[in-house]
Parts: sequence; structure tokens; C-alpha cells
Amino acid sequence: MSVLLAILWKDLVTEWRSRDRITAMLLFSLLVVMVFHFSLPGGATRETQASAPGLLWIAYVFAALLGLNRSFSLELENDALAGIALSPVDRGWIFLGKTAANWAVLGVAQAITGCVFALVFDLDLAAVAFRLALVVGLGSLGLCSIGTLFAAVAVRTRFREVMLPLLLLPLLIPVLLGAVRATAGLLENGTLAGGPVQLLLVTDAIYLIVSFLVFDYVLDE
Amino acid sequence: MPPSPAATSWIRRSLVPSGLALAVLAILWIVLVARAPLDGMQGVIQKILYVHVPCAFSAYAGFIVTALCSALYLWSNDERLDRLAAASAEVGVVFCTLVILTGPIWAKGTWGHWWAWDPRLTVTLLLWFIYLAYLLLRSFTEGSARTARFAAVYGIAAVFAIPLNYFAIELFGGAAMHPDNLERGSLGTGMGWPFAVGALTGLAAYLHLLLLRADLEALRAEAVHPDPGWDR
Repeated sequence: MSVLLAILWKDLVTEWRSRDRITAMLLFSLLVVMVFHFSLPGGATRETQASAPGLLWIAYVFAALLGLNRSFSLELENDALAGIALSPVDRGWIFLGKTAANWAVLGVAQAITGCVFALVFDLDLAAVAFRLALVVGLGSLGLCSIGTLFAAVAVRTRFREVMLPLLLLPLLIPVLLGAVRATAGLLENGTLAGGPVQLLLVTDAIYLIVSFLVFDYVLDE
Repeated sequence: MPPSPAATSWIRRSLVPSGLALAVLAILWIVLVARAPLDGMQGVIQKILYVHVPCAFSAYAGFIVTALCSALYLWSNDERLDRLAAASAEVGVVFCTLVILTGPIWAKGTWGHWWAWDPRLTVTLLLWFIYLAYLLLRSFTEGSARTARFAAVYGIAAVFAIPLNYFAIELFGGAAMHPDNLERGSLGTGMGWPFAVGALTGLAAYLHLLLLRADLEALRAEAVHPDPGWDR
């Protein structure tokens, strides 16, 4: 547990001192919102609200991909990853620490992007804010757990920026399926549908446990 | 030229029996499919069932064997298991491609469209993408031990898409164009035997291709660093 907190603290402090990751993620997801406006037939307005949940999650996934790649390419500098791998602790906890840090940083970017979405699509998020935060939190947990695992893999392959989305996007479909449906249900009638949330809980649990167990083999320094 | 050690490996020796089994099953399968009753509504095009579904079973088998070999590789660190995992994933992708190719032919004849975003179809396409990413990961990683480890990790995480695929129709609340799973009794009378032999033929074809591919991998590994192992 202390390993988790140490890694989480290290990552958050690094992020707080430079703030480059969160800036890049935010700027990117806001740009994506603008691209949506120009690519939707009616623009991003009240009339195109129905596509907002899907678009929101596309923006989140793009932002997450940027952040996840960065979270490990940072560790490659000065061979920091080798240092982490050499520390005599259970690597599963290192994984959980990295995941928690990614989850927190992504959460900040998601909150701001969500507000911008509410503004441009004229959505009433205030009424469902708490339940929406729960859905987004659950979705990002699945996204960050499997994402952290494969970010650690992807940074040490050729074409690393290309590799992460190729590995991650197909595996994310169950998470996205649950997240988009739950978000859509919330925005439509303010109720939390059971099915999508169950799907999210199951995939989160599977991805967290599997990643926790196999992360040991990913750090091979 | 002296005989290579691979000539005496168990994989090499099982190629002939597996090829014979495949040939016998394939002949039986052709006869049974030719004599199978025509579907009352769909007519002759329904017989693509005896290719389409066995290919899907073989693809499942390929991906499950990949996951098993991957897990065993991580546990035992035996590179022969990694070669088997890679071979199985490749053969699985071939069968998955056949499923995706035969599906639209059937769909055009019965549903009227080449493609529909039917749950099972969508998840099969997903499975195909996942294992293409697996093969891509293998070719983009440097160092054989690292490739094996990374691929094993992905091979294990990816296998959870298979239950999603099999139960796709129930998960999505039955709004599907694919029929129910077999245990719900979706086969017509007289279709059981050709279907069962078709499934066996598909699995025999998978096994034969897997052995051929594993043999090739063993030869390749031997060319890189010649030391004898249980698959050579």
C-alpha cells in the first residue's frame, strides 16, 4: 500500500511541478470538441445533443491516450523505469500507483472537458453531476488500468506512439460500451441504468486484477 | 546434408497423422454437407453454416490456446510455449478472417445486406482487430524474450473478448440477427451430424495448421541458436 502511495505521490508531484501533461491533455480534448463542432452536420449544439455521450467519451479516450503514453515515456528518461523495476517491492503495487496517478490526472482533464461539453451542447449536467462523476470514474478506471499496463508495453516497442492506440482501443470496447450507454441514459432521463454499470464493474474488475497480476512481466529491466 | 534435429521432433512426426485425420474428416464432411437437408426458408445458401461456424470454433480454439500458452510461458519461461502461442494466434487470425469473409456472403443472401452492425458480427470484428494488434505487437518489439513477454501479457488480456463474443447475443438483449447459441436448440433436424463433423474438421484443420506453423517456428529458432529442445 505504501508503494502505491509513494508512486502516486511521485507522479502527482512531478505533474504538479511541470503541469505539461495535463495542459496537453486538456488542450487536445478541447481541440477535439472544436473538431466535433465542425464535423457534425448541425454543429455542436442543443440539436445534436443525442451524440454528446459518444463524442464525450471519444474526447476522453484521446486525452487518456496522450496522458498514458507520456506517463511512461517520462520514466524512460534517465532510465527511471529501470530504477523503479529494481526496487524490492511487489510490482503489482507499482502498477496500482501508476494507475491511480493516471486516473487522477485524467479525472481533472475529464471534469473540465465535461463542463465545456455541457456548455456547447447545452446539457444540464448539474442535476446528474454526482452520478455522472461515478460513471466517468468507473469508465476511466477500466481505461487507466488496462491503459497503464499497455503504456508500459508500448513505450518499449518501435513506433511507440502508434502502438498504444492499436493495442488499447480494441480492448477498450467493453468499457466504452458500458460507459457510453450509462452516460447516455443519465443525460436522457437522469437515471442510472443497471446493465451498463454492471458491465463497467465487471470489466473494471477483470482488467484491474489481470493487469495487477501480469505487470510483473512487463517491467523486465 | 545431414538430417536436421527437427526431422525427429514430435511436432514433425505428428504432421502426417494430423494431415490424414484432416483428409478423412474433410471427405466425410463434404459428403454429409452434400446430403444435408435444404433449409426450408433460406435454401442452399444456408449450407454455408457448415463452413462459417466451424471456422468460428477454430478461431476461438486458436485464441484460447494462445492465452493458455501465454500464461504457461509467463509461469515457466519456456520459449517453446511462446512459439506455440504465436503460431496459434496466427492460425486463429486466419480462421477469424474466414468467418468475417463467409459471414457477408451468407448475410447478403438471407439478410439482404453485406454488412449489419449485429452484436456478434461487431464483436467478431473486434476479436479480429485484437489479434491483429497481437501480431503487430510481436513484430514491433525488439528482443525475443521481451517480445515473448509483451505478447504473452497481451494474449492473456485479449482472451476476455471471447466470452464477450460467445455471449454477445444475450448480452445485447437479443436484438441480434444471428440465431441463438447451440444449447438453445437452434439447429434444424438432420443438420446435427454435418454440423458436428464440420466442427471436427475445422478443429482438425486448425490443429494441422498449428503444427505446420509451430514446426516452422522451431526451425527458425534452431537456425538462430541451435540447441535441442522438446519441440525439435
